[in-house]
Amino acid sequence: MARRKGLVINDEQMQMIDGVLTKLQRVTGSQFVALISTSGQPITTAPADVDADTLSLAALAAGSFAATRQLAEVLNEREFSLLFHEGRESNLHVMQVTDQILLLITFGRDTQVGRVRLYTTRAVEVLKPLFEDAEDSDEGEATTIDKEYSREAGTAIDDWFPGETDK
Amino acid sequence: MALINLAAREINYKIVYYGCGLCGKTTNIQYIHRRVNPGARGRLVSIATEEERTLYFDFLPLSLGTVKGLRTRFHLYTVPGQSFYNASRKLVLQGVDGVVFVADSQISRLDENVDSYLNLWDNLMEQSEDPSNLGIVLQMNKRDLGNIFSVADLTELLNHTGSPVIEACALTGVGVFETLKTVCKQVIAKSSRS
Repeated sequence: MARRKGLVINDEQMQMIDGVLTKLQRVTGSQFVALISTSGQPITTAPADVDADTLSLAALAAGSFAATRQLAEVLNEREFSLLFHEGRESNLHVMQVTDQILLLITFGRDTQVGRVRLYTTRAVEVLKPLFEDAEDSDEGEATTIDKEYSREAGTAIDDWFPGETDK
Repeated sequence: MALINLAAREINYKIVYYGCGLCGKTTNIQYIHRRVNPGARGRLVSIATEEERTLYFDFLPLSLGTVKGLRTRFHLYTVPGQSFYNASRKLVLQGVDGVVFVADSQISRLDENVDSYLNLWDNLMEQSEDPSNLGIVLQMNKRDLGNIFSVADLTELLNHTGSPVIEACALTGVGVFETLKTVCKQVIAKSSRS
């Protein structure tokens, strides 16, 4: 079995990815664009602020998309690569980039769905090779998650939530 | 799969609380949510039935703070414990870094505990990643009740990996943070390179 590998994104890749997301947000007139992992973790967003709701949104969208994939399997469909929720005031569009990555976009009534679909598909074509490179590399992980990080994180965990552990 | 974002200087780890129905997985997460400063946690999301049984998952993001210049977060999930929700459990396990197996210590729950433990390992083995790289903790919950298994018996039944064992009463918070800290440390140790 292969060693488990994390997804590692370097500065250069992230700059290119952020550029694509910012442009996508502008040309579609959308409210919010995010790249998330299929395990439910946000990677980057446009606009850039990641708050607690972004974390919830990522977890729920990934869960919803995962369920959609299973629905496809039950229906003997090779894949449902797109998930769309239409609301009264806003809509949510989720598209698969790679096996590990999803592109999430929210937009209001004044943005046409067709426009979002067209530009999202184009953005995925650009993003896909970038993430395939990131998935193939574990270079950053080797330099980042080292013994020193592990030791410092261990100390931080010991000091985490003082007063709770003795219960 | 730890998600490392070097540009944003962030690492996110995924921890899943697993176990049979009504063993106390959601109770663990709810206790943590109640006790942790809102600045160190996000919103608790629960996808539950009208009877408050977990339908898909509970989710709670926790921040450890900045370690060696990296913002470190742990994302806690529970799975639905009822046996017929196995498809949902497999989905929640995707990309997991650490597992807390919550055992219901009551003797009457023996079969459910064993079925859930075997189901966990079936599902982990189905994933393409090597389960030996996961952080794993066995939490023996409901130690305050009568008619419960001894620690030695439950360890024999539900801990073939020799993982750390924590006795708990999630309802009152006993062992809840100890479990959390233990699994977080394991996850980081497993992800670090020698």
